[in-house]
Amino acid sequence: MIEVKNAVKRFDGFAALDGATISVPTGSVYGLVGPNGAGKSTLIRCLTGIYRQDEGSIRAGGQDVWENAALKARIAAIPDDWYYFMQSSVRDMMRFYRGFYPGFSMERYEKLKEVFQIDEKKTIRRLSKGMQKQVAFWLALSCMPDYLILDEPVDGLDPVMRRQVWSLVMGDVAQRGTTVLVSSHNLRELEDVCDHVGIMDHGKVLLERSLAQLQDNMVKLQVVFKDGAEEVPPELPVLHASRVGRIHTLIMRMNAEEAAAKVSAYDPLLVDAVPLTLEEIFIYELGGADYAVKDIIL
Amino acid sequence: MQSKTSFFNKTLFRKNLTRFWPLWGMASLLGALFPLAMLLELIRNPSRSMTPLNFTEGYYAVLTIVPVISLLYAILCAMVVWSYLYNARSVGLMHTLPIRREGVFVTNFLSGMAMMIIPYAVTGALCVLISAFYGGIDPAGLFNTILGVLGLSFFYFASATFAAFVTGNIFALPALYFLFHFLAVLLEWLLTEFASCFLVGVNSYYTGAVSYLSPTVHLMGNLGVDTTYTSSVPAYSSVYAPAELTAVELENFWLIGVYALVGAVLLALAWLLYRRRRSECAGDVVAVGWMKPVFRYGVAALAALLGGRLLYALFWEGPFQQGSYCDALPMAVCMIAAGIIGYYGASMLLAKSLRVFRRSWLGVLLVAAGCAAVCAGLRFDLAGIERRVPEAGELQRVHLYTASNNYDLSSGQDDALIEEVLGLHRAITASADELRNLDQRLEEARSRDEAYTYVWLDLNYTLASGRTLERSYSIPITQSRIGQAGTLDCLLDQLVNSEAMKAKRLHLDDPSYTVAGGGIYQYTRDNSTEYLGLSSREAAAVLEAIGKDAAAGAWGQVDWFDENHDGAYALDFSLNFTQELPDGAGTNWDTISITMRPEMTSTLACLEELGLIDRERLLTWSQYDNAIYGPGYDGAVSEGRVPANTEYAYEDPFAEENYVSPAASIGVIGGEDGPTEVFVAGAVG
Repeated sequence: MIEVKNAVKRFDGFAALDGATISVPTGSVYGLVGPNGAGKSTLIRCLTGIYRQDEGSIRAGGQDVWENAALKARIAAIPDDWYYFMQSSVRDMMRFYRGFYPGFSMERYEKLKEVFQIDEKKTIRRLSKGMQKQVAFWLALSCMPDYLILDEPVDGLDPVMRRQVWSLVMGDVAQRGTTVLVSSHNLRELEDVCDHVGIMDHGKVLLERSLAQLQDNMVKLQVVFKDGAEEVPPELPVLHASRVGRIHTLIMRMNAEEAAAKVSAYDPLLVDAVPLTLEEIFIYELGGADYAVKDIIL
Repeated sequence: MQSKTSFFNKTLFRKNLTRFWPLWGMASLLGALFPLAMLLELIRNPSRSMTPLNFTEGYYAVLTIVPVISLLYAILCAMVVWSYLYNARSVGLMHTLPIRREGVFVTNFLSGMAMMIIPYAVTGALCVLISAFYGGIDPAGLFNTILGVLGLSFFYFASATFAAFVTGNIFALPALYFLFHFLAVLLEWLLTEFASCFLVGVNSYYTGAVSYLSPTVHLMGNLGVDTTYTSSVPAYSSVYAPAELTAVELENFWLIGVYALVGAVLLALAWLLYRRRRSECAGDVVAVGWMKPVFRYGVAALAALLGGRLLYALFWEGPFQQGSYCDALPMAVCMIAAGIIGYYGASMLLAKSLRVFRRSWLGVLLVAAGCAAVCAGLRFDLAGIERRVPEAGELQRVHLYTASNNYDLSSGQDDALIEEVLGLHRAITASADELRNLDQRLEEARSRDEAYTYVWLDLNYTLASGRTLERSYSIPITQSRIGQAGTLDCLLDQLVNSEAMKAKRLHLDDPSYTVAGGGIYQYTRDNSTEYLGLSSREAAAVLEAIGKDAAAGAWGQVDWFDENHDGAYALDFSLNFTQELPDGAGTNWDTISITMRPEMTSTLACLEELGLIDRERLLTWSQYDNAIYGPGYDGAVSEGRVPANTEYAYEDPFAEENYVSPAASIGVIGGEDGPTEVFVAGAVG
């Protein structure tokens, strides 16, 4: 389990993390989402031992991460800008990782070679950005980590390779109980792989729930009122409302049954509950935190 | 539960060496050129016999330049080994790895040390092989050399490592490193330069008082090879026989040990800095928070001193300054301007932005106030440097140089003379403002058509504490003021022309001085110069004779205004002395110049008896001038002996028709303790 409690990290007085708290259950895939500058990468750097938090605690498996070599031997991380030595080939980097990670599996490395099909003798610098990302996954997964921490992991990968990589990660989660924390802006993709989601903004975690809870906590109703009413009754607790013709689309923070019951009081002609995508949840949750999409006409 | 500590990671060590092999490989290759050159030299001169001590001498000679080599090479090694600290991506990788910081630190330090030592090891191994083949190995010399190289490599790489943890920017690292190494001497030079600009008596010579804080300067100045040669053949034998090298020592070898200890301290500090280092400081010029203001104001101070002096020299010194001393107000303005530029420059480097002007007024005000305070403090001598005259009780020795002579006075033996010197010094400090305006004083003398001259006076006090106090003055003296009791001019004249000081000038009663020899250049009527070297016995005999003349009042009176010595004989006569310095501090040399006058009967008789002069051929300078240049010579014009518009003939002694090959005659006069050379050169027919 990864636990971050009230983590604070300041840079020259600016709090990139301002009391962030998350809890990633063992064997889960946790999606960390948030707008640019929310503090996701800072949190990930604290989790991987690059930064030391100014306040709060950052633990994995019940141990502090900072300067804990034994714990870090069980954590593999892929940052958004993965570093490799300038003249190194994949094989050189493999030897380097193997020297540090006691759990590094050569057998896995050889198997993954067939998946990624990259010439391991080629200098990494000469590979494309996407292929470099594949090398990062190749090495990270060969370390056989208990905790896999990924920051914008599939940027630059083609759709086929994305699926391939996620399949490998999900395989590890299923077979070895690997705990995965992934930060990404690709909410559509996260929706497919994550079972837990945390939404960050301004250095804080606004909410974290399982994806099912999150989707259950917010509903999108398509409603047609009698007499073609143009306005939504003001008594209804609506987060967002829009209208196309006679059909009103209402976003409400409650489960589908409860929302339908409230709307039914106005005797509508049609009430239909549609599940929200993660992207919609993200947008409407952050809308409450002053991060709404603005209707700007230039 | 925290992990077990591991101090070394062989994967990282191996990776460092394999990644950066071009650096140590190239250094090894360059180092190997030295034994190659040595081998070629030995092959070229097969007859040259080499002993193990000869090789040790060579090793030690190389060791004396290792500080410079290591200074330059250590920073290159540090720049590659610690390069990961200066890039956010690489520092991310290194700190994500399952290894604690002490493991990274120790492994990287050992990698850097390996890179430092491999080239020396390659070079040394080749040298040892050649030595073993050609003459043998001196184990003690080899061991000392290895220890020395290890100690110096450790010190320099440790100091580079310390600099590496102070900064977060790879370009700032070498700048900071060289600043650390040379800051002390730079500051000493700057501060003495500034002090000499304002304070009378303080000179701007580099003293090296704090050179120990600039190790390379200190090591280069103090590490040396001391060799002892012995020969079975007498020194003055005409038979050539090579002397045998019997001992080689490395002077001040212990200094390497001291600096290695300093290196250990710097390494410990570097480790402490690494423990507290924030990875996010990668790219920052200064990585340690509390050092940022030190850097900002330090750069401002250096800029104020260096830049201020430069601006002053450019815009004020030439066009407006009167006299030799700086004007405080323009200097303050120049310093403030340069200091503010330095302040903003440092702020921009720290902020990595050009927008540093907001809310900077307080810093600017501090810099300006600091510059003004420095100028005011120096101009008004708030620290009392200019006024400082030691008390007699705190003195151990006084060294005085004036009228082209050195005088050594010891506390307990020369107390009366020391009191006189201190009295003169007090009078000088009381007249500091007057000395500051030399031009005005000499202008007054000129307007009265009075004889005047400048007298240079060096005072070097050794205090009982072992510290020294040095002052140098250029004192203008005039004929009339010498006669006025209590004036500076009179005090100086009384001191220098006292009987006790005349005896001091000849070092007659000072057992630390030994007359070692001398030389006479005699100028002759036929425009030739004869040189006669005096053996130590001849010099001792002449010295005794001069002493008699001095006692009789025929020698020793300094005539401040007789610069041409017209009444004296046309001889350049000097006696050389060696002086054993106290506390085994070594040997000093002194040369005194003797102005020979006709009334010095004892000395003339002695020289004649020794066959060093032919009295009939002796000329005074006036006779010589007349003989060579004719009666219209400028010297005679200035003294009013001939009209100013008189034409005189000058015969160029080096003109082709007049030139006779040098060493027209060479002879040797025998002496009991060796030959006396005689050269007669440039005789014109």
